[in-house]
Amino acid sequence: MEVLREKVEEEEAAEREEAAERAERMEKTRPVEVQKEETILTQEMLRDLEKKLSEIKIPIPAGTPVITEDTIDVSNLPLSYKTNTPKEEHLLQVADNFSRQYSHLCPDRVPLFLHPLNECEVPFVSTTIRPTLMPYPDLYNWDGCANFVSDFLTKVPLPDPLKPPSHLYSSTTVLKQQKGNCFDFSTLLCSMLLGAGYDAYCVNGYGSQALCNMDLTREVCPLTVKPKETVKTKEKAQPKKYTIKPPRDLTSRFEQQQEIKKQKEAKAQKEKQQREEEERLLEAEKAKPDPLHGLRVHCWVLVLSGKREVPESFFIDPFTGRSYSSQDDHFLGIESLWNHRNYWINMQDCWNCCKDLVFDLGDPVRWEYMLLGTDKPQLSLMEEEDEGLNDDDDIEDLGKETEDKSFDMPSSWVEQITISPEAFETRCPNGKKVLQYRRARLEKWAPYLNSNGLVCRLTTYEDLECTKILEVKEWYQNREDTLELKHINNSSGLHTDYFRPGHPQALRVHVYKTMQPENDRIMEFYETARVDGLIKREETPRTMTEYYQGRPDFLSYRHINFGPRVKKLTSASTESNPRPMTKITERFSRNPAKPADEDVAERVFLIADERIQLRYHCRDDYITASKREFLQRSEVDSKGNKIIMTSDMCISFEVEPMEHTKKLLYQYETMMHLKNEEKLSKHQAWESELEVLEILKLREEEEEAHTLNISIYDTKRNEKSKEYREAMERVMHEEHLRQVEAQLDYLAPFLAQLPPGEKLTRMQAVHLKDECLSDFKQRLIDKANLIQARFEKENQELQKQQQWYQENQVTLTPEDEDLYLSYCSQAMFRIRILEQRLNRHKELAPLKYLALEEKLYKDPRLAEFLKVLA
Amino acid sequence: MLSSGKMNRIYDSVEPRVIDDDMLKLAVGEQGPQEEAGQLAKQEGILFKDVLSLQLDFQNILRIDNLWQFESLQKLQLDNNIIERIEGLENLTQLVWLDLSFNNIKVIEGLDTLVNLEDLSLFNNRISKIDSLDTLVKLQVLSLGNNQIDNMMNIIYLRQFKCLRTLSLSGNPITQAEDYKMFICAHLPDLMYLDFRRIDDHMKDLAEMKYQYTIDELKHREHLRQAQLQEEQAQIMKLEEYKMAFVENLNGSFLFDSMYAEDMEGNKLSCLPIVGELLEVYKDKFVIICLNIFEYGLKQHEKRKLELDTFTECVQEAIQENQEQGKLRIARFEEKHLLNLSAIREESELLAIEKKIVECSEDITELFNVLMTLELQLVEQLEFFADKDTIVNAVGASHDMHLLKIDNREDELVTRINSWCTHLVDKIHKDEVMRNRKRVKEINQYIDHLQSELDNLECGDMD
Repeated sequence: MEVLREKVEEEEAAEREEAAERAERMEKTRPVEVQKEETILTQEMLRDLEKKLSEIKIPIPAGTPVITEDTIDVSNLPLSYKTNTPKEEHLLQVADNFSRQYSHLCPDRVPLFLHPLNECEVPFVSTTIRPTLMPYPDLYNWDGCANFVSDFLTKVPLPDPLKPPSHLYSSTTVLKQQKGNCFDFSTLLCSMLLGAGYDAYCVNGYGSQALCNMDLTREVCPLTVKPKETVKTKEKAQPKKYTIKPPRDLTSRFEQQQEIKKQKEAKAQKEKQQREEEERLLEAEKAKPDPLHGLRVHCWVLVLSGKREVPESFFIDPFTGRSYSSQDDHFLGIESLWNHRNYWINMQDCWNCCKDLVFDLGDPVRWEYMLLGTDKPQLSLMEEEDEGLNDDDDIEDLGKETEDKSFDMPSSWVEQITISPEAFETRCPNGKKVLQYRRARLEKWAPYLNSNGLVCRLTTYEDLECTKILEVKEWYQNREDTLELKHINNSSGLHTDYFRPGHPQALRVHVYKTMQPENDRIMEFYETARVDGLIKREETPRTMTEYYQGRPDFLSYRHINFGPRVKKLTSASTESNPRPMTKITERFSRNPAKPADEDVAERVFLIADERIQLRYHCRDDYITASKREFLQRSEVDSKGNKIIMTSDMCISFEVEPMEHTKKLLYQYETMMHLKNEEKLSKHQAWESELEVLEILKLREEEEEAHTLNISIYDTKRNEKSKEYREAMERVMHEEHLRQVEAQLDYLAPFLAQLPPGEKLTRMQAVHLKDECLSDFKQRLIDKANLIQARFEKENQELQKQQQWYQENQVTLTPEDEDLYLSYCSQAMFRIRILEQRLNRHKELAPLKYLALEEKLYKDPRLAEFLKVLA
Repeated sequence: MLSSGKMNRIYDSVEPRVIDDDMLKLAVGEQGPQEEAGQLAKQEGILFKDVLSLQLDFQNILRIDNLWQFESLQKLQLDNNIIERIEGLENLTQLVWLDLSFNNIKVIEGLDTLVNLEDLSLFNNRISKIDSLDTLVKLQVLSLGNNQIDNMMNIIYLRQFKCLRTLSLSGNPITQAEDYKMFICAHLPDLMYLDFRRIDDHMKDLAEMKYQYTIDELKHREHLRQAQLQEEQAQIMKLEEYKMAFVENLNGSFLFDSMYAEDMEGNKLSCLPIVGELLEVYKDKFVIICLNIFEYGLKQHEKRKLELDTFTECVQEAIQENQEQGKLRIARFEEKHLLNLSAIREESELLAIEKKIVECSEDITELFNVLMTLELQLVEQLEFFADKDTIVNAVGASHDMHLLKIDNREDELVTRINSWCTHLVDKIHKDEVMRNRKRVKEINQYIDHLQSELDNLECGDMD
């Protein structure tokens, strides 16, 4: 207690001293701002102070950066990354000052992590945080953000695990490189959380070895943790006024007590054994003690309660994206924390990890702040400990409020954080990430990366060394067969496939050991998607059980027993030789439209025995149900006549004997009906068997093909829509070109000659028309001349060549001759084409001329003048 | 069948007949089940009350009779006879299909009890008015062709049959009217077929437009009548409720008026000048008290109802639980019993069989004992607690209030409440006794069945 008191006093002293100094500093900072006015008086004071302060040496954080600067392309970065604004310079000065004071006051503490180097410059930590709200709904909540950051970036260890890094890169670079150390992780996450409206802070502190190395091998994989079954607190109904008393209990109390005692002992024994076992296991699992425990620097994110309905402050480890309570054992201490507004130094003792820390940042005793922001967190009054300090505080507060609103944190130099949709979808670097947990291994892939749609695989192991596989769970996405999750249990050999709604056979779950038919298998269905309302079909080698729901005939259950397959002489395939059915049991739910005595609850066709058993539903206030049993024996009486029906062929018990049911006729009709039903049921069973075969075949095909679905909204992957879109774009482009051409104005060059802004006179219009026409005529003639000229030139050339050939015909090599011949044919071709063109031009030219003339007459600009003329 | 019918007709054409037993027996025999089932039927004989369908056409029948036994008859054909009056069909309440075409019927009558009738054919008769069909609410098909119906108002009568879809009136004088079809379409909007033809929507629309005003008026009138009926019903319901609460006629001055209605002296007194005013004041106060009592009574009634509900609920719960237990026992027993029986069937040694049979019958006795114990337990439980005090309590409280009241009325109230109470308790007891007897009977029956089954088995094995 005494020690504590002393400590408090020390702190008080420090506080007072600092307050005084701060006041000085305030004075200093002001002149800096008004430096242009050159107030010499304060300038001197400043120099004096600076001199004094500069005597205090600060240890410079040093270390080799992992991302060396030459790996980063600095040239593309915006200017704000390379230079400091005056305000930032000012801030750096303030920070330097603050740092000096701090090392003066607390010489035994580690230097502050205030202004690490960025890619090119020396900024301040807080301005590295750029609050940005991401345009993805998944990133609106903290868990989404944390998971994204942990997935998106690859972890790079700190250059020196005991010191903060010398460089702190902007989130832009980190995102581009997709790797970073814990500080980079935290900065990015913090930016995103702040953008999403959380009260988030980057924390510089000390973490456990597992935390710093992102070692999850001692953690239980979150996917393997089964959700806790909500304990059903069945509200015991209030005993009603008239509730009857239970019959008197006549068993011996003593015996009961003895029994309970015995059971308790046995239980205790068992529990003890179990506990011992557990302890032994724990012992084995325990890690070696870490020699650097408590010294490893780590950076994580703190989210304070209050904003976004966060009920309690918690930590997020940016490496794993998991949240921890602020009392967690992994977090061993806090040096300082910051966000885009301010920087706080922890003044509390961390002897008990972070468990006793109070995150009340407005409390200057616990948290020393660097800037007096306008938005400083509320000082909770109930936490006020030192009555004596109250006055000082008040004075300080006053001072702050009056003098120090002048300086706040400059806005971030970092560009807005952007993540492209592709990068967001790919998530992990190269779309793949592997995490090792305790007895589990988690692999993640980006969608569409694997051709079979695999996006996640969780392998659970039996032992800590991860050699014996216990079970494998594979999650799929975008599968055409709507397969969602595949679960393989190695110990039981059971495969379980889960499907989303939309499978062509309405399959929901498929549990099997092999894909061979007539084996143990369970298929569950989306019953609303099926016409027959089948929910579940269970199979064993000898039975098949089906469960139905919502059928108009009220069938709810059908159980089929198969006998051994009869070997046919002609060895036929399985399809044509179905197993014989020995028994079919069908159960029906109550049909409210029928009286209970006529509503069959269960009917059993004993096919081998030629018997049919019926059990009816029980009446509301009865405890026995009617039963009927038919023997289908076709016997012949003594005279050789066939016995149709005798009373011993139907044994029945009726709850309330009725007259008409005793009649043989009734029994006969019922039996005939049942025989028919038996046939139908057999057929149904046969169809079910066929369906199983069909489903198995389909599943095999699907597994083989494993085609992936591409949403029509996915413009990048959907080839069809891409083609279509491109075609559309092409068409649009062509259309545009045509329009531009159509808009070419043939009058424009002539109109331009006229003085602008004046109305055309008739004379001008006529002149314009004539000019235009003559110009066109000239063009046509020119064109004809041009063709003519080319034609003649070709002709001359040809003649020349021919002449040359004639002259040298004797001395020519066959190659030269070939050359000549090919030239000739080409030249002839050209000449012919030119001739054709010339003829065509001659034909069309007058027409074109007339067309232009007509067009000119119709031109809205000239029409009225020319009409008169015409 | 047909040929025999024709023969009959020719044979009997001279003499009109009355339906008699012989005719019915013959018809039932001929129209009953055929082949194997027919042999069985012949062997056993068919009871009239099991017959579902009967055909009596071309029999020259003049009078319907002797049909009272056919309780479950659903289809009856009496066409092509010379019937003049519809009679003797009162007992055939299950009838769905009735064919009386080609007869000499003049008036529709005697169909009031056939509430399930859906299809009625009176084709080719001498009917001139559609009437007496009010109770046939399920009527879907009505065939009245070739009759003498000549008034359009008959159509409006048919508006009350909400299920009527098919109507035939061809060959009636009414069809001569020029807007005959329109009129029917407008007045029977749910009708689908008229005179063997489907009514198209266009026709319906046209008809609706044409007769909009008359139909609206009709509808309005019908609506008013409906509302009135409902109101009356509600009134009756309310009165019933008040009666249940024993406070009927207390929410007004009825009691006061009735008091003075017989009080000659009082009437005389009221003639005096001041007494009149006093009487008014008295009356007002009286009515207020009456209203108080009325409300109080209703509240007490609610309370009683609640009490009674919890009571029945608890009893039901107990019975239900008991029932479940019984069912469980039986299910368990049956499982074992079945195994035992099959074991006996397979056993070949006589001694072993006998031993097993003895075991079985022991099981049966045990089951009987268990079930009976369960039942007795329930009876005991129910008996001890069904004390009426709690229910009477509510009555007692209201009694105090009633002291303020005129003796006469109070006595009536109290006696009624008491009688209600005793009645209730009696009923509960009676119900319980009934239930108990039923259950004991059921158990005995079941045990008997099991025993006889076992005996049969025994006999079979002995043979």
